[in-house]
Amino acid sequence: MKLTIDETRCKGCNLCTKVCPYKIFVEGKKPNLRGIVVPDLDRPERCANCRLQRLYGRTLCGVCQLTCPDQAIHWEDEQPYEPMKVAIEY
Amino acid sequence: MTKTEFWQGNTACAEGALAAGCTFFGGYPITPSTEVAEHMAVKLPKKKGVFVQMEDEIASMAAIIGASWTGARVMTATSGPGFSLMMENIGFAAMTETPCVIVNIQRGGPSTGQPTMAAQGDMLQCRFGSHGDYSVIALCPASVQEMYELTARAFNLADQYRVPVFLMADEIIGHMRERITIPEKIDHLSRRELAAGKLPFQADTDLIPGFATFGKGHGVHVTGLTHDERGYPCTTNPGVHAALVQRLVNKIENARNAIADYDVINPDARQVVIAYGAPVRTVQQVLHDRKGTDIGFLRLRTVWPFPEDALKKFNNARMFFIPELNMGQIAREIERHVKVPVISLPKLGGDLHTPAELIKDLEAHK
Amino acid sequence: MTFEDWFRVDRLPHIYCAGCGNGTVINCTLAAVDEMGWNKKETVFVSGIGCSSRAPGYIMTDSLHTTHGRALAFATGVKLANPALNIVVFTGDGDLAAIGGNHFIHACRRNIDITVVCMNNQIYGMTGGQGSPTTPIGCLSTTTPYGSAEPAFDLCELAIAAGANYVARWTSYHVKEFERAVKAGLETPGFSFIEALVQCPTYFGRRNKFKEVTDQVEYLKTHAILRAKRDRLIEKGERIPDDMFIIGELARRNRPAMGVKL
Repeated sequence: MKLTIDETRCKGCNLCTKVCPYKIFVEGKKPNLRGIVVPDLDRPERCANCRLQRLYGRTLCGVCQLTCPDQAIHWEDEQPYEPMKVAIEY
Repeated sequence: MTKTEFWQGNTACAEGALAAGCTFFGGYPITPSTEVAEHMAVKLPKKKGVFVQMEDEIASMAAIIGASWTGARVMTATSGPGFSLMMENIGFAAMTETPCVIVNIQRGGPSTGQPTMAAQGDMLQCRFGSHGDYSVIALCPASVQEMYELTARAFNLADQYRVPVFLMADEIIGHMRERITIPEKIDHLSRRELAAGKLPFQADTDLIPGFATFGKGHGVHVTGLTHDERGYPCTTNPGVHAALVQRLVNKIENARNAIADYDVINPDARQVVIAYGAPVRTVQQVLHDRKGTDIGFLRLRTVWPFPEDALKKFNNARMFFIPELNMGQIAREIERHVKVPVISLPKLGGDLHTPAELIKDLEAHK
Repeated sequence: MTFEDWFRVDRLPHIYCAGCGNGTVINCTLAAVDEMGWNKKETVFVSGIGCSSRAPGYIMTDSLHTTHGRALAFATGVKLANPALNIVVFTGDGDLAAIGGNHFIHACRRNIDITVVCMNNQIYGMTGGQGSPTTPIGCLSTTTPYGSAEPAFDLCELAIAAGANYVARWTSYHVKEFERAVKAGLETPGFSFIEALVQCPTYFGRRNKFKEVTDQVEYLKTHAILRAKRDRLIEKGERIPDDMFIIGELARRNRPAMGVKL
């Protein structure tokens, strides 16, 4: 699974940078086309949900998604899905 | 089989509602309408309906609107001060096109005024009381029989036009006891459910959208904000607001002839009395006492939307007399529609005009 | 299914300011509703007026966005007329405690089977940051420019005193705990009241020395004290600072309830 921030929804409040236990979200630097500084992702492969969601068949931690007031954080399927590769990546 | 009873006006009103299939009553005690609530409290639970006494009239009105969205036929009953409190949510019901019936047993105002005396001082309030432009339907009974029949009709009108319908009775009619013949069966016009594929506030050709009952999977968003056809708030688009408000008004005003309910007596007369509610009884007495005199009579059962076509039936009218238990609220409306003099005959204090008073006024203007 | 499936995606992004805690509260509430396994058809969201009350408009079930403070009265009507529907009410501190205070205590007294989620941002956000009944003493707002002089309401205490069956308080930082509290509220027959203290960076934070959104969330996190911990401290005779507020489950009981689904 891949962690993504939906730039059409993010309003740049940086709450995700506060709540992620892995500190994956870091304050962004450059404003996007809408003038919003969307947080950057620091090695998102570390996210427990990215690594283990398939294995457990449910959303794990997910605090960033619950906290995000703008429903901008999602996990997307990576195509093609290769479980072994994801494990090695980290 | 028809049945004859000797009932109080308020009882007849409650019974009319029950006969019309009212299943939810939210109310708050207030003289002189309390008997309606008391009667509903006794009867509704036995019919698997819900009676709830709310914490105030604002909440009563809110509760019946909420209940109406579940598809129930709903009613509340109140009087002047409570009616003022209801104004906020009456506007909400008009904006969200929620069918509901509001019974106002009018008493002397302003403010607490005369709790046990009659008046017709809320006739303009029921039409214009809440802020913004909208249109409503108001019916005025003049007998215990009509309390029953018009209450039943109010539910049909509310469901048909998706609008708050007012039964504007007064303390005299509400507390009077009279013989009443219960009809065997009353007409029942159901609410039109939202058709599949239609948006929840997309009007049909009659300007009335189908009703998206809660719990049927329509996923409707009901809001008092200006909304588009999907029901979504759309508050800054002038076109959407204008179209919505125009439709809310037009759906009622265009149907004024279908809603109208009045009697025309002696249409060739030169002096015409127009009355609604309790003063009708004085006029009837005068007509009874002075058979064959040149007095026309227009008795209105529907006051809003005002049935202006009824005035055209009196071709020879040289003067209209309007006896009312207020300072001439409907006389002012009639002045807008006719070219001949309109003589307002206001009476305050809670008593009806006596036949002698009315005759004196008619003769003074001969 | 996840909580995201409950949103009207065509209406997102919503109107809340950047960093507003209301979005978080909606997420958690929907996550709890989703966990209950409720049918969208049988669930109705009701709200009054204010920032918090815009929430039902973003949820794809039947929803009723009503007049200021009256949400609970409307919800009472919906629930009593059709007890098969599950009712969740979104409300705010001004909506619930100021203009809707009477409806609130009476809904608690009736113990009607609805769940109320109150987003307490301690200010009137929609109208531009006026003081509300929950603005703490000394806090600045446009109508309390020299600091609020009025004591604030404790909404949970009010709900408990008025008779609610389930009462809990969390903050927008405690998302998992809050979600569990909402679920417990949804499961409890009778009136459930879950208060979430949320940040309002635009009107509350900006005037009260919270420069960033995260600063106010940090404040909520550090000034919240669990009920059990507070009780322990009191037992030991230690003093609890005045600016701390209690979080956790504050009441769970089984008073007779109205409108419970059979």
